[in-house]
Amino acid sequence: MTTRLDTAPRTAPAVTTSTARRPFPWFKYLSVAPLAAVFAGLVAYPVGLLVWMAFGRVRLVAGEFQWESVGLDNFIRMLDDETFVVSLRNSAVFITATVLLTLVLGIVLALATDRVVTAQRFAQNLIIWPAIVAPVVISVVWLLILSPQIGLLNRVLVSLGADPQAWLGDNIGAMASIIVVDVWHWTPIVFLFVYTALRGIDTSVLEAASVDGASYLRQVRHIILPLLTPAIAGAAAIRLIMGVKAFDEMYLLTFGGPGTATTVITIYLRSVFFDSFEYGYGAALSITVVALVLAVLLLSFAVRSLIRRTSRGF
Amino acid sequence: MASRHPSRGHAPGRWIAGAILAGAGVVTVVPLIWMAIIALQRPRAIVSPDWEFEFSWDNFAEIFAPDAVFGTQVVNSLVLVVAATALTLVVSSFASYSLSQLRWSRRTVLAILTVAGLLQVIPPMTLVPGLYVTLLNYELVGTLGGLILLNTVFNLPFAVIMTKFYFDTIPGELRESASIDGAGELRVFRAVMLPLAAPGIAAVAIFTAIQVWNEFLFGLVFTAGGTEAPITVGIAALIQPQEIKFGAMAAVGVVTAVPIILMAIVANRQIVAGLTRGAVKG
Repeated sequence: MTTRLDTAPRTAPAVTTSTARRPFPWFKYLSVAPLAAVFAGLVAYPVGLLVWMAFGRVRLVAGEFQWESVGLDNFIRMLDDETFVVSLRNSAVFITATVLLTLVLGIVLALATDRVVTAQRFAQNLIIWPAIVAPVVISVVWLLILSPQIGLLNRVLVSLGADPQAWLGDNIGAMASIIVVDVWHWTPIVFLFVYTALRGIDTSVLEAASVDGASYLRQVRHIILPLLTPAIAGAAAIRLIMGVKAFDEMYLLTFGGPGTATTVITIYLRSVFFDSFEYGYGAALSITVVALVLAVLLLSFAVRSLIRRTSRGF
Repeated sequence: MASRHPSRGHAPGRWIAGAILAGAGVVTVVPLIWMAIIALQRPRAIVSPDWEFEFSWDNFAEIFAPDAVFGTQVVNSLVLVVAATALTLVVSSFASYSLSQLRWSRRTVLAILTVAGLLQVIPPMTLVPGLYVTLLNYELVGTLGGLILLNTVFNLPFAVIMTKFYFDTIPGELRESASIDGAGELRVFRAVMLPLAAPGIAAVAIFTAIQVWNEFLFGLVFTAGGTEAPITVGIAALIQPQEIKFGAMAAVGVVTAVPIILMAIVANRQIVAGLTRGAVKG
């Protein structure tokens, strides 16, 4: 999109001279004004408040916020905050597992759909259902499967003669469960991304390869996957961001528990702000998390351009 | 895209691919069907350890009883969807048309797209402290108006980027020749440009509506629940560790999921476009 913008010829000399005689372009400014107003009032202003809160002790007294400067105390306190460290670690585990699993499954599904021509409409329709149903409903769906008393999973286990399991009640089981739920929820996104890119591949390349006698798996490894790399990288970045944002399922299925076993960053932020009412500290944590996200993104951009530069050198 | 030919001569491979797809279909659908079964199950039979099924509408009757809050919450969600989607479409189509066609400097366009991009990337939860004080100052905490504004703000980045993408494909000469014919800017926009961007705007509308219907976080932290809350928050209230109402929960889940799944079938193309371009939201 940006390249289109960069290359578009914007100025022709004849037009430049005529603009001098034109009246003030009201429409040009008015049409952007609502967006600018919304961004100023509901993005810039709250972000400013967030920064201001992070440097103070903030209390809510009779519906009014009272702010008192504490300098960098909120940020220093973070260093000794064990729960924050635990929540960072939980998020890292959750994000690593879900990104990798959704990528692998999404790619496999895309390749399979591409092989079975008659199934394309079916796949693009039915397989994306989890990605558009409300996360809250997804939580309900999985609670009905994982519940120790009435859940489908334990019913099946008992019918097969095995012992029922606690699933969400167990430290490792809870983390594994929310990972499975997230993978079920978001594999369709990776599938759609990769499948769209796969459809764009010039078929003559593949036909030439299969005439040469290359087996399908060799074609996938040496031709298809390299061509799909940009799409897979894009899907990975998007899944990473979604992993940091994830909140609804943990809040509803485990509430961060048992103990702090599934307390990811967003769950911890909510509890600092709405259970402990530590507004200043919550703001400082928020800013730190945003800085971390942006740092990771910048780093991945840097790595990507570095790889590109070195590969061009060969 | 050119139509793809099935690779010939690899019948076993295609059988494996078919099996993988069938497996994926089963894994996708079985959990949803199980929810529907629980929703239509007589409450007494839900907790029974045996595999038994007694059909009844009891769970649906319970959630739509005259004294239940779900009716109000469904209405809240519908108002929210209509208002936030309309607001998002109006603001984004004017702005993206202007940014795309009306000779803004590259720096301005880049600045606005950067704000939009950042808003897509930052977890909404991190902005909640700042948003909370903002809504308090505007006296919008616990109101549908506040939720409408927040849903609009967080859906605007995708809407602006997607709609601008469509306007970028329209050649600038079109606008110039229309204005030479004497049409005012607003008329050029409404009669010439909007229809040309209609496919993009339709995809944005459907995608935004789904996002707003599904939204949970803002409803949770900026309302006190009950009759001010959207349906997603109503479902959450049923998941209380002490006494989970499985039947009612499943029934509300079905009521919330069915319109979305119907939309997935009817407007599949727009949804696929929205998901592949706007997937960061979620």
